[in-house]
Amino acid sequence: MAGKLTRTLLNGLALGVGLGAASEARAFQSEVDATLDAQFYSLQSPYGSPLLQRRRYTQTLALNLYDIQADRRPLGPTLSFKSRLRLDADFGQRPEERNPDSSSYIPGLVEAPVDVMYAYLEGSRYLDGYLGFRLGRQYVVDSLGFWSFDGVEAMITTPAYLALEAYVGFEQRGGLPMLSTSRFEAGGVSRGDRSGLGFGQSPSFLQESKLAPAYGFALESSGVHFLHSRFTYRKVINRDAVLVSPFLDNGGGLTYALGDRTSSERLGYSLRADKSDLGAVLGSIVYDLYNRRVSQYNAGLDWFASDRAVIGAGVDYFLPTFDGDSIFNWFTHRGTTSGTLRADLAFSRQFELAASGGVRMFSTEGDPHSYLTSPDLNQSGRTFDYLGTFGGRYRFWDGSLALNTMAEAGEVGHRYGGDLTGRKQFDGGYYDTLAVLSLYDWEDALRPERSATSFSYVLGGAIAPNFLSFSRGRLGVEWEHTMNHLVGQRFRMLATLNFSVLR
Amino acid sequence: MSWRATRAAQRQSAWLLAMGCVLALCLSLCGQSPSAYAEVAPAVSASAPASPSAAAPATANAEPAMARLTHGLGPVADGQALPERDRPPGALPGDNGPSPAIFPSQELTIRFDHRRHVKDLKLTCTTCHEKARSSRNSADSLLPKGTRCDACHGSDHRNTLQVRPHPTERKGQCAYCHLGYSSSAGNQVARLSLPKPNLRFDHALHVTRNIGCAQCHGALENLELATRDQLPRMRGCLNCHQAPDPAAGRARAECRTCHLTDPSGMIKVSFASGPLSPPNWLHDAGHGPDWIERHKVVAGNDSRFCANCHTEKSCADCHDGRVRPRRIHPNDWLSMHSVPARENQQKCASCHRDQSFCLSCHQRVGITMSGPLANLAGRGRFHPSKSEWTDGPRTPRHHAWEAERNISACVSCHVERDCAICHATAAMGGRGAGFPAGPGQGTDPHPLGFRSRCASALRQNARPCLVCHTPDDPNLLDCR
Repeated sequence: MAGKLTRTLLNGLALGVGLGAASEARAFQSEVDATLDAQFYSLQSPYGSPLLQRRRYTQTLALNLYDIQADRRPLGPTLSFKSRLRLDADFGQRPEERNPDSSSYIPGLVEAPVDVMYAYLEGSRYLDGYLGFRLGRQYVVDSLGFWSFDGVEAMITTPAYLALEAYVGFEQRGGLPMLSTSRFEAGGVSRGDRSGLGFGQSPSFLQESKLAPAYGFALESSGVHFLHSRFTYRKVINRDAVLVSPFLDNGGGLTYALGDRTSSERLGYSLRADKSDLGAVLGSIVYDLYNRRVSQYNAGLDWFASDRAVIGAGVDYFLPTFDGDSIFNWFTHRGTTSGTLRADLAFSRQFELAASGGVRMFSTEGDPHSYLTSPDLNQSGRTFDYLGTFGGRYRFWDGSLALNTMAEAGEVGHRYGGDLTGRKQFDGGYYDTLAVLSLYDWEDALRPERSATSFSYVLGGAIAPNFLSFSRGRLGVEWEHTMNHLVGQRFRMLATLNFSVLR
Repeated sequence: MSWRATRAAQRQSAWLLAMGCVLALCLSLCGQSPSAYAEVAPAVSASAPASPSAAAPATANAEPAMARLTHGLGPVADGQALPERDRPPGALPGDNGPSPAIFPSQELTIRFDHRRHVKDLKLTCTTCHEKARSSRNSADSLLPKGTRCDACHGSDHRNTLQVRPHPTERKGQCAYCHLGYSSSAGNQVARLSLPKPNLRFDHALHVTRNIGCAQCHGALENLELATRDQLPRMRGCLNCHQAPDPAAGRARAECRTCHLTDPSGMIKVSFASGPLSPPNWLHDAGHGPDWIERHKVVAGNDSRFCANCHTEKSCADCHDGRVRPRRIHPNDWLSMHSVPARENQQKCASCHRDQSFCLSCHQRVGITMSGPLANLAGRGRFHPSKSEWTDGPRTPRHHAWEAERNISACVSCHVERDCAICHATAAMGGRGAGFPAGPGQGTDPHPLGFRSRCASALRQNARPCLVCHTPDDPNLLDCR
């Protein structure tokens, strides 16, 4: 089924490319963009075995058509189509890892999955500019996160500085015969393709994926540059059959839950208000209606001390939440709260510095250090991590030099280190070079033998020829060498090829 | 070779490589080509507001009689600062003029005193810049031709190949206006460079809306030489451009109302004069060195603003990417990642899903409880000893605290069954031949205050409740 869909899609793309090639006779513009990334490296288990050989090959192919509509007027309605297909292969996998009858079987592992990252028809400025829409697989980015669904979204922009957005469709989920990934599902549940697996065959925790209806709406401000506010709601419903208990019942069978169940239901609100000669206030909050808890909030206050300096303070809270089918929601106790101060200084258009420092707080029900003597869950225990970053960037005519350093220390361990990255182009950008020096030290308090000091360097080069006036290309190679006592010497090779044609 | 000698050789080669790398970096950064400097130098000098001191070298070779001319060489005579009130609306003190990406650097080789012409001689802006009334394209040159000066200055610019100065009048001499002019150069004057701006602008439309010159360019009548500093600022444009897309009129807040776009409708951000990126004050979206750490707040609030310049690919390359972004995951991230994952798993969750990304790899390398038997055989213990981690009293090294701190880190290796073995109620736990030791202890994992929320959860999705509780469990019935 998936293979048939893949072929259909590739045929569609080929047709699109053909149409694009004939674009001189039509008003619309077509763009084909291809990227290829090949990565070669090894990954060793902390126990020494197994050793994974990663031979990764990722290719994306995008076809975009712009101005498909019949007439083309400035600020008039526009219709476009945007799509990107991806092949993400790891030819370093061992065949037994994909064999359900093998003791090395990894559920859900696929050698060369193909997915449609996005493919949608987009209309904007219809009905005198009031109506916009999208039809197909698309992303939604807002305070509820980075999410994807297959369906339709409509947006009405009013002259009253308000826009209303509504969407309905199916959440993009892995394991569906729709060239999809599981990246956008809520966590806590393993879903995938169980074809080839018998009923109840181990691993029973891999659930068969089914279409998950989703809908949502948003109300946001529009057209006011000093203020933006968005209120959003989304609900996703599980319809797959899911095992109720991971254990066999008294009769030796398995019990499944069926029917519509809440996967996630959340409300989000975000606000930004700024005064260009003073500063800005930003914030967002997410309320999880299923868990009945605030799952995230953040707030920031920035002072534009001058045209070249920003001083800011922020607070961020995160409470892990999971799919409604998951028991892990009921293991979640308290969230993580971080507070930071930051400064961003631009000494010139070429030279900028940024620094931040703060603290991250964890809270527990009961104090771990006194629980044995005083087992009171109402007594909070708090632990802290201390955070700091410092970065700088100097951009010259045909290159840049960047320094990024960080420090985090707390009960779990510490990380200190930084990267120095230099880029330089030659011959007007035809040649591009890269050099990175990186030094990090970390301590894993839970597993001290996994602590290390690591040095790494990267050398890279690329050429970016323009074969024709309407095309762009870039071929690059990067060599990465890491040295520390955990891995000894690790090498990683990355080759990239990008090619884009716009006609 | 002995083990010790091998290690020493490895260390030596590592240091040699490191030193070589530093050397390569220094060479690549220091070895700029001369042509690059040649292009940089004028851009830097001309991107700042012109001042008499900056223009002074140009007058060094001028005719001796003209060397005393001190007006019209900069915005204010004697190098004084231009009062802020005379600068264009939206200009900030010390902003060094508008973005060079929009208004590329200029080379001004003319001496001109706006105050003298407007205030003293009572000329209007359009006396000289007459095309400003009708120009519909930002690429139009609105500078007056030399013939416009002839009437008063007595010169003759009709034939630019043979311009004739006034025979006697000082103000009709070439060097009176053309900086650096020498009579030995004949008809040659220094080239004036005013590159076309990288934006859309319709002067005529603004004139019909009764928008005066000063509303965008500041009080030119109060200054002498007009430099790049008198060009409009986006902050000033936004005083009027605040209307939503479908609003009547064209003073829309859309970026593409003024900014150039490519065929896909995206804002062009790369120009020969530099990259275009939002200033700090615009949506608080300054792309400084720490932008990658703080972009989520801005993008989460208004992703359509980001979409003016970025396609989905910009987001997906990291948030749904397949190539490790080195800026986020530096150095030996594979070995290091367990520390940040336990410290701050929320950052991981913005790109990775526990079950499909983390668990899959952890199963392949044997860092799970439920992974392939081949990977678990003979493996050591990952966590601290069982007596401390799970069985014993709740010391600070008990797993309960770790789970409370960051349950997501647990989920990246463990499946429900691993937890339910102990946390399920006795009636539900650990049955079946595969798990004969599963005691089903019913150790309560719920947080404080759970009872007040459980009824709603049970109504919406009973599945997770039934993993650990039987339908007739009194605790479950309480939630109904």
